This record gives sequence, structure tokens and C-alpha cells, in this order.
Amino acid sequence: MSAYLLDSAAPAQRPARSAWRAGRISALGELLSPGRLVGTAVRLAIQIALVVFLWRALYAHTSSNAGLTRDQAVDYAVLAVLATRVRGLDRDASRDSIFAHVYMGTIVYWFLRPVPPRRYYLYRALGEQAYGLTWFALGYVACRIAGVLGPPASAANAMAFVAALLLGQAVYHELTLSLDLMCFWTLRNGSALTILQFVQNLLSGGYAPLWYFPGWFIAMSGVLPFQATLNVPLSLYTGRIALSAAPAQLAIQAGWVAGLCLVNRRLWRRAGDRVTSQGG
Amino acid sequence: MAPWTGIRDRAVRFARAWRLVLRIMMLMLRAQLEYRVDFLLQIGVGILWQTSIIVFASVLLTRFNGMAGWPADAVLLIVAVRMLGHGLYVLCFGRVFELTYLVQDGKIDGYLLRPMPVHRQVQLAEFPSNALGDILVGVSLFIAAVLRLHTAWTPEKALYLGAAVCGAMLVEAAILTAFSAAAFHYPGSYAWSSWSIELLETFGNYPLSILPGLMRAALTWVLPLAFVAYFPAATLTGRTAGLGVPEALAAGSPAVGLGLYIASRLIWNASLRRYSGVNG
Repeated sequence: MSAYLLDSAAPAQRPARSAWRAGRISALGELLSPGRLVGTAVRLAIQIALVVFLWRALYAHTSSNAGLTRDQAVDYAVLAVLATRVRGLDRDASRDSIFAHVYMGTIVYWFLRPVPPRRYYLYRALGEQAYGLTWFALGYVACRIAGVLGPPASAANAMAFVAALLLGQAVYHELTLSLDLMCFWTLRNGSALTILQFVQNLLSGGYAPLWYFPGWFIAMSGVLPFQATLNVPLSLYTGRIALSAAPAQLAIQAGWVAGLCLVNRRLWRRAGDRVTSQGG
Repeated sequence: MAPWTGIRDRAVRFARAWRLVLRIMMLMLRAQLEYRVDFLLQIGVGILWQTSIIVFASVLLTRFNGMAGWPADAVLLIVAVRMLGHGLYVLCFGRVFELTYLVQDGKIDGYLLRPMPVHRQVQLAEFPSNALGDILVGVSLFIAAVLRLHTAWTPEKALYLGAAVCGAMLVEAAILTAFSAAAFHYPGSYAWSSWSIELLETFGNYPLSILPGLMRAALTWVLPLAFVAYFPAATLTGRTAGLGVPEALAAGSPAVGLGLYIASRLIWNASLRRYSGVNG
């Protein structure tokens, strides 16, 4: 498939409208199913209650561990549960993922539409993230009202947290995209995607705050992009990362976004060359 | 003579059925080996899945020195029983988790026309390569936990431990089979299955006495997570005070697992009878 189709074929009519229509697909799918919405809210509430009880019980006989107080640990864990909702939609349910299309042979349609595939993928991802961030915001307000989540360490920490959270989501998007694009070469990479999810959860602090892990583990996480997705924003919120270190952390996150973005641009171009329609 | 002939016929039919199962499994294994990297990655998924749980559990145990009065070796026994049970569940029953996709793809309609029970065909839909990794790590941790446990081993205790692992497998299979029964009619029920697995991996590994009474009761009577490994480990280590259920019931967890699995299969069969296909 010609690389020309990737970027400049049939300039998309009214890009803003295309973005809106593609971006809202995932959210509409959820909103049109009230049972699923209620289910998500119930699961989120139970999960938050459970992690709050778990971390309070762990701190029953100590006030501080690995530089985190009980309240900081609870805040970190609650925010981690909320943050995993940002990209919590089941990407395979709609069968509109690169993985599903490459496997079924229908990926060619992405390259024949007026909206280039790279842009379509971006619109869908942005829509999912906007939908997930709405859940995050609603969950945050509910947790603050319920008193299970404390305020950020300071107003400046709050601003750094928001910036780091958004940059973290951008890093996560680029990481997921890299693996999705690998489908064009490996045909089946569902396992690689699952592995990424584990690695992401483990090395980002999704399972437990990274601060509890041994020094070598924290050092290893430091040179990988995963901790930029969750650990950095949550540590800024709780004040475990000092505000003075925030600019450096944000710069590292931005560096990961830029680097991964460049790699993915190349991968998209090469992926386009590998697509053949029926009959070759 | 007639009763013996009947028994022999049934034995022959049973042997033929299982020979066919083995042949199909081998076929599915060969099919997966066509994608060698994905096959190896699937084993890696099992290993990483289990390892991430071990890492989380060991970090907490190292940092907090036991939980709710349970020493580290007793908590490790809970983790080991649950993880080995999980590996066996993935090997023997794990494909119910994918039922949503089989329904969406219309494969169930085909299964209904073939001379083999639908449940068996669902289990044979894919070779569970990831179970190999799950079991590899599960067995390793199980041996380590048994060696570390401070208890006087007797043949009865060893037998009970074996039954406890089978019970853990059956309780997990029962939960996932019951949730998957809904997938015949509501594809969105997949989210509940994912969530129950998430709960099992997060809270199935610890003494539930860390949670308040209401949560503990919910994880005993609504989602019977306590019967997976917590009750059997409490029975083996003699920590039966304050379980919230009679000691005999806690000790009978393997039998409860069997009962729950039979009940879940009845629900599954009833749901299958009402299945009307993806086109209504």
C-alpha cells in the first residue's frame, strides 16, 4: 500500500468533524449501554474500597514506610485504580483494533478511507482517553467527598500532577501504538500486548507504589518509559517526588513522548508498505 | 453379563471421547506453533502474570512483615495455593473466559451442530499455552512455600493440601464459568469476568482478615474468594479463629469448590439452552 495513502491521500474533509465522529465511537458504545456504565461504577467503587482497606491494614503498625506515610500510600493506590480507568476500555470488544483488523485481513479498509489510518487511530485513542479521563475526574471528586483521598501536597503539586498525568497518558498511547503496529510484522501479537499490560502495571506502580521495591528495581524502572505513565504523576500528587524535581520529570516524560512518536511515525510508513489487498 | 457390557461400552465411549479430545488438543497446539513467537510469548504471559503477583506479594511481605497477624510463611502458602490453582484452572477450564468472543464470532452456532458437548468444544477452542507458564511458576512457588512453612507435615495434611489446590482451581473455574454463562446473552459481561480475575489476583492472595466484616462477608458469600486459598491455608496453619464461618465449613473448602463448580455448570447449561445466536 502506497505510503502516499498514509498521509496525503484524498485530504480528509473537515478534519475536526472526522475527529469528533471517530473519537466519540468508544464513548458512545459505552453510553448506549447503561448496564455497562453501572457495572463500571460498581466495580470501580468496590475496587477503591478494597485498596483503601488493604493499605490502611498494612499501615496498622507503622506510620511510614519507604518514605510514604499511610495517607500518601492510600492516595497513591486510589489514584492508581482511577488512572487505570483512563484506558480501561476493552479495545477488542468492538473488533476495531489493529490487532483484530490485521488478523481478519480487513486492515486494508483503514488505508482506503478518506481519513488516513494514523489519524484515525489517534482520534479513536484520544476519544477513549477523554472518556476515561471523565471517569477519572468523576471518581476523583467522589473519592474526595467520601474522604478516602486527600488533597494534593500543594497547588503547585496539583498543577504538576495534571501535566504529568496528561504526558503519562501520551507515553502510554505511544507505547500501545508501537505494539499495535508490530501486528503488521508478527500478525498475532495478542500475547505481546498482554505482556505489555503486565509490565506496564508492574513497572509503572499500578500494582504497588514503586517506592516499596528494592533499589535496583527502581533504578531499572527509571530508564524505562513505564514509570512515566503512572508513578511520576502519582508521586507528584502525593508529594513523594519533590516539586523541585518536577520540571526534570516532566522533561523526561516529554522526551519519551517525542522519541516514541518518531519511532511510531517510521513504523506507520513501513506498515503501509506491508498492506496488500486481496489479490496482491 | 448385561451390566458388565453396559459398563464396558461406556468405558469405550469415554476412552474414545478423550482420545478425540487429545487429538484436537494436539491439533490446536500445532496450529499455535505456526506462530512460534506468539506461542513463546504466550508461555511468557503465564510466567509474567504469576511473577508479577509474586513480586507484589513479596514486596508487601518484606516491607510490612506479615499481614493481620499472619506471618510471612503462612501468607506465602495462601499465594502458592491460589497461584497453582489458577494455573490448573487456566489449563483445564480457562477458555470460558473467551466465551464472549466465541459468541460474537458466531462460533457457538457451529458448536451446537457438532456431536460433542458445547462446553468441551469451548475448552478445545484454543491450546492453553499460557497455562504452561502459569503452572511452571505456580509449582515453583508452591514447593518453596511448602518448604518454608513452619508446620509438622503429616500424610493427612499433605492430602488436604492437594485437595486445597484442586478446590482453588474449582472455585476459580466456578466463578468464571458462572460469569461466562451471561456471555451467551450479554457480550458486555466479559468486563465482569476480567474484574473477578483482577479481584482474585489482588485479594485472593492475602488473609481476608485485613478487611472489615462487610467486605469479608461479601468476598465469602457473594464472590466466594475466601474459599480459594484463605480458608484452606487457615485450616492448615491452625488460624481458624475469626474466619467468620464455622471451622468445618472453612476446612471443607475443597468440597465447597466442587459444589460451586457443579452449580456453575448447571447455570451455564441453562444459559446455553436459552441461547438464540448472534442474530437473535
